[in-house]
Amino acid sequence: MLRFLGRRLLLAIPVLWGVTFLTFLVINHLPGNAAQELLGINATPQQVHELSVQLGLDKPLLTRYVNWLHDLVTGSLGHSLASGQSVTSILGADLPVTFELVAFALLIALVFAVPTALLSARRPGGVFDRVAMVFSMAGLSIANYVLALILVYVFAVKLNWLPALGWVPPDHGFGTNIKYLIMPAVSIALSLLCFYTRQLRADLIQQLHGEDYVTTARAKGAGAWRVITRHALRNSVFGLITTVALNFGTLLGVTVIIEEIFGLPGIGHELLSAINQRDVPVVEGAVFVFALMVILANLIADLLYAALDPRVKYGSATN
Amino acid sequence: MAVPPTETAVPGVLEPTALGPSAALGARFGRLRAIGGIWLPAFLVAAILFLCFLWPIIGPVPAPTGGSILNSNLPSFSPGHLFGTDINGNDEWSRLLYGGRASLEVSIAVTAIGLLLGGLLGAFAGYIGGWREGVIMRLFDVLIAFPALVLAVAIAERLGPGEVHTIWALSFFSVPALARIARAATLRVREQNYIVAAGLSGTGHTRMLLRHIMPNILPELMTFALLGMGIVIVLEGALSFLGLGIQAPTPSWGNMIASGQGLLSAQPKFVLLPSAALFITVVCFNLLGESLRARWSAQ
Repeated sequence: MLRFLGRRLLLAIPVLWGVTFLTFLVINHLPGNAAQELLGINATPQQVHELSVQLGLDKPLLTRYVNWLHDLVTGSLGHSLASGQSVTSILGADLPVTFELVAFALLIALVFAVPTALLSARRPGGVFDRVAMVFSMAGLSIANYVLALILVYVFAVKLNWLPALGWVPPDHGFGTNIKYLIMPAVSIALSLLCFYTRQLRADLIQQLHGEDYVTTARAKGAGAWRVITRHALRNSVFGLITTVALNFGTLLGVTVIIEEIFGLPGIGHELLSAINQRDVPVVEGAVFVFALMVILANLIADLLYAALDPRVKYGSATN
Repeated sequence: MAVPPTETAVPGVLEPTALGPSAALGARFGRLRAIGGIWLPAFLVAAILFLCFLWPIIGPVPAPTGGSILNSNLPSFSPGHLFGTDINGNDEWSRLLYGGRASLEVSIAVTAIGLLLGGLLGAFAGYIGGWREGVIMRLFDVLIAFPALVLAVAIAERLGPGEVHTIWALSFFSVPALARIARAATLRVREQNYIVAAGLSGTGHTRMLLRHIMPNILPELMTFALLGMGIVIVLEGALSFLGLGIQAPTPSWGNMIASGQGLLSAQPKFVLLPSAALFITVVCFNLLGESLRARWSAQ
């Protein structure tokens, strides 16, 4: 198990390295730099040059990247060029917002997807199944930013039930916190919910139609509902875990636009404004955290397999 | 497709997954449904393509830009303006059609680039195996983990935002996504008898790839490409929405939705009309892709 973990983490290093290096190249090739952005358009070239030297922007590209890597190995993500704050503390403040948003969205999606898929798979082609399939196809086709605007129009503008934008941390009252979070989370959750429902339903139907253990369970007299929840679902859960893990990167990408629409102070919002300010350390830090989270999500999915399925053993034999 | 990209949009629909067997229906009804399931969305897609590409040329559609400010904010069903005009006096119906043209052009181009580059590279990686496969697929892993937004901003700022540059930015999603599918499909056909036979009779790598493998994985690739079209349309909208894609006054559904955002409480139609157009188009592509996939995996 430890060997497997170590191997997977080692394999992640080249990908992480590639992502951060590419980001570094791309951001540094943008016209203008942080000094220019900080001083504004009225700054003289002399002032811009002085600040660039002060911020270390005059050093060669590779030197700066190696310095950044060196800091990373020692556990630091550097300091923001704009505010001078350490990137770790900036991202540390943003991370809980994005994390709560993503967790809430995933929770909504799974809480609705699993029962819907179970009911659909119980009678494929039945009334419930058809209605669920039509709605899930529609839900899959709504762009999240469109859904966000429609939600704002209905619940904030017309009904005035929910605030249109902003953020209240959970320690200022959990109820208020959820009130601000619910529309952003639903905007992200709907397409996920529909996608998970369709995947799980297809997997369940396949299990119910082709697997011997289902026949055995039926033969020993287990009821239809018991077969589907206790036997088929336990096996289909693996497909669902894979789907959730594979989609994690997409999910994080979606948070950028949703945080922007609802004015949430999360990592996506930070990333966008850092790109605009050419604040390279903050961009690098945010990109690094995104990539790390995607890799960790995949790793956790693999570990969950092992925890849930006694047949799966990670070690020298399978890997 | 990562980040916003990857991640944005319909998450992960590009991942190859088998669709479960559909319910047993009466043979005749099932046949009818199967035909309707493919031809209805195909007809709708054709109708959308016609409206966006041909109708503005042959029909009485006013120009989408350069309207007179004197005509601004006309209500829907005004004479000559089916959906009224926007605040600049441009005809909203015409902006919808031209906006759709931009969205469709981008998604067709991005998907074509993905099919060509990603399909060939993925098939090559799956066929050749070994270290070359490793290098190609790790490279695509990096591209998939790379936040597309950074790239899109970079391309928009460096080259200037616009339709062609949006196509380049979004191709960084479609190429790795379709490469993964092409590789998976190639691994499946590689051990088939006809491939082995072709190999034994001395077929070269290029001929093998182009004449034996590509034709066999193409149906599957095309199906996922159709599902990908919907994703690309949504992504293009997201970029334009953030101001990084197609720029006003040139209409695109994304920038129409973004500019309508400010008028949401007073005149929701400026958000709802392009949103509806986007939704209908994506539904049609998804339905067509789904039913092709169902038919293809049933065979």
